[in-house]
Amino acid sequence: MASTEARRECETEGCSRDAKLQCPTCIKLGIQGSYFCSQECFKGSWTSHKLLHKKAKEDKHQTEAKNCMEKDTNTDPWLGYRYTGKLRPHYPLTPMRPVPGDIQRPDYADHPRGMSESEQFLKGTSQIKILSPEDIEGMRVVCKLAREVLDIAALMVKPGVTTEEIDHAVHLACVARKCYPSPLNYYNFPKSCCTSVNEVICHGIPDRRALQDGDILNVDITVYHNGFHGDLNETFFVGEVEEGAKRLVQTTYECLMQAIDSVKPGVRYRELGNIIQKHAQANGFSVVRSYCGHGIHRLFHTAPNVPHYAKNKAVGVMKPGHVFTIEPMICEGGWQDETWPDGWTAVTRDGKRSAQFEHTLLVTETGCEVLTRRLEDNGRAHFLAQM
Amino acid sequence: MEEEDDCPELVPIDSQPGLPARQIPVTIITGYLGAGKTTLLNYILTEQHNKRIAVILNEFGEGSALEKSLAVSQAGELYEEWLELRNGCLCCSVKDNGLKAIENLMEKKGKFDYILLETTGLADPGAVASMFWVDAELGSDVYLDGIVTVIDAKYGLQQLKEEKAEGLVNEASRQVALADLAIINKTDLVEEEELNQVRNTVRSINGLVKILETQRSRVDLCDVLDLHSFDCQDGAKLTEKLQLVTPTRPHLDKSILTATFEVTGDLCEDALNTFIQDLLWEKKFCNKAGEPMSVIRLKGIVSFAGKVHQVMLQGVHELYELNETPQLWEENPHTNRLVFIGKNLDKNILQEIFISTVVMDGVKKAGV
Repeated sequence: MASTEARRECETEGCSRDAKLQCPTCIKLGIQGSYFCSQECFKGSWTSHKLLHKKAKEDKHQTEAKNCMEKDTNTDPWLGYRYTGKLRPHYPLTPMRPVPGDIQRPDYADHPRGMSESEQFLKGTSQIKILSPEDIEGMRVVCKLAREVLDIAALMVKPGVTTEEIDHAVHLACVARKCYPSPLNYYNFPKSCCTSVNEVICHGIPDRRALQDGDILNVDITVYHNGFHGDLNETFFVGEVEEGAKRLVQTTYECLMQAIDSVKPGVRYRELGNIIQKHAQANGFSVVRSYCGHGIHRLFHTAPNVPHYAKNKAVGVMKPGHVFTIEPMICEGGWQDETWPDGWTAVTRDGKRSAQFEHTLLVTETGCEVLTRRLEDNGRAHFLAQM
Repeated sequence: MEEEDDCPELVPIDSQPGLPARQIPVTIITGYLGAGKTTLLNYILTEQHNKRIAVILNEFGEGSALEKSLAVSQAGELYEEWLELRNGCLCCSVKDNGLKAIENLMEKKGKFDYILLETTGLADPGAVASMFWVDAELGSDVYLDGIVTVIDAKYGLQQLKEEKAEGLVNEASRQVALADLAIINKTDLVEEEELNQVRNTVRSINGLVKILETQRSRVDLCDVLDLHSFDCQDGAKLTEKLQLVTPTRPHLDKSILTATFEVTGDLCEDALNTFIQDLLWEKKFCNKAGEPMSVIRLKGIVSFAGKVHQVMLQGVHELYELNETPQLWEENPHTNRLVFIGKNLDKNILQEIFISTVVMDGVKKAGV
């Protein structure tokens, strides 16, 4: 319950009534002390009050305008948007990269809004497909290719490289392997992979920003080959990274591996969240709730839904032949997320860092096969070489 | 955008963005065209003129719209708001686009007191309900309060009895099956005998639903709002309701009906989960004719070994939840009561399986 606080007086000129309400726009803009006694009183002083908002936005725009137009890079494309952390978009983006016509394309690639009719058709169903031996072979092949592409991206991660440069390499690597980069035009996503830096939880859009020493970067790769999608991601260290970030990344990786260890026929999909959250919480971290793992095969995202938080209502029990991803996003601070005005980039509301790891898994008679596992270096994730 | 000039709704001082203090109830209102849904909505809006109520007409489409309008009633005035259904990530998002759009709107413009969602006559209220029946862990600003269905006293019987082709469901029946409250409207247009028939048919489908009979959709608003049908607050009330449920006789072949049983004893939690999953997800249980049982709505109070609190069970289609209620068993017998609403149900088969697989050895006494 709220403790007794100093009595606040209504901001309206001439009104000295008790103020228990606050202007939500001021909260968003960081203007302190906009307390009012009632909505009517507030409306009465709205004409003058809104000038405060105007001024705050102009001040912010001015300070940022100085930095943002360096070398034709715009780092403040959305007027009035209040960033949660230090990261900024770096626009403009390079035009959408074409994929040669002889590479098989998923249905959404040519849809004007990037919608997948095949996915929409199955929306809401919780029936999980049991893959045939031929389908399983198709998944093995595409997941191996996706892994190759991620390993190539990993080699590029160092200070000074822009996320767009990594995306370019990813795009070329996909094409060379006769794969379509699944994110491209998926619901109009503009790039071929997702690059998520520091406080970005997932779905970061590769842009002109150069990686900085101390950043953590997640690269999420999905490729489409011969009618199947393969999906994986890893978080990497950029240069020298502080202890807290190392712990976060390590714990996140462990969360994924512990969840994978439990996968076998008969286990409920909703159990994975319990395992992940337990380990994250034990290390003082939180689990992102808004995004989840998913079934994947001929469709990019389909049943089952795999939330990563505890006590969820996920429907389904694992059976041999099921294929799905587990992709926990773990945060240093709170789990609450918000989305940038680009409609994609998910960031933590408190601006603290978030890490993620992902594999595509096939449930077997006795456990599971990690289809996207690394084949060299004993299957270790890349960051481990830098711990 | 134009919003900068709009005077926003003030928020209480202690609340911070991102931390949902107060949760807003969502009521889903279903019923065939002409039954009186719109009249009901208008009535609610005019009666509750000192509350801020959002009304959304028709459920959200198949991701085709980028925006959706909703009407907000406040201080006797009705104005329009827009929900931005950002197409961005529909893919691996846990929350439905429509739900997120409502939360975003409330964050910008302040919270509503109630949200009423009117669905089209043919909609499956279960699908709409699952949009709003989110895990408590998601900390949503919104919670599912209940499903209300409006039935036309004059044409309702015909709609409920309509035979559909094999495999197709009778939407009117399904709406009744999922309802927490059924309003039989336009009673002034029918004779006593017809009204009885409608009431009996509704009761035969759903043994739990509260039934109100109205003219011009005039109801006591406390019977429609704040139903809390999906949360544990009213554990004691649910126990009472469950005790009063009688199993129903089908009025038609292949119709939806209510089956119920009670068994005293403690349950093994894992075994209960398996039982529910076999029933709801795997559809493993069949009736005597070999047809798989299909459950639309599931409610119950159960006792787990070692837990002093009564546990509430709620299910809609394949989604289900077990939650501890504030109610303690204390000295009362640990009587587990379950109510199933669906097709091809066989109470005896269910009870038998339940007793043999879920109830722990020891005190086993089958009730009626």
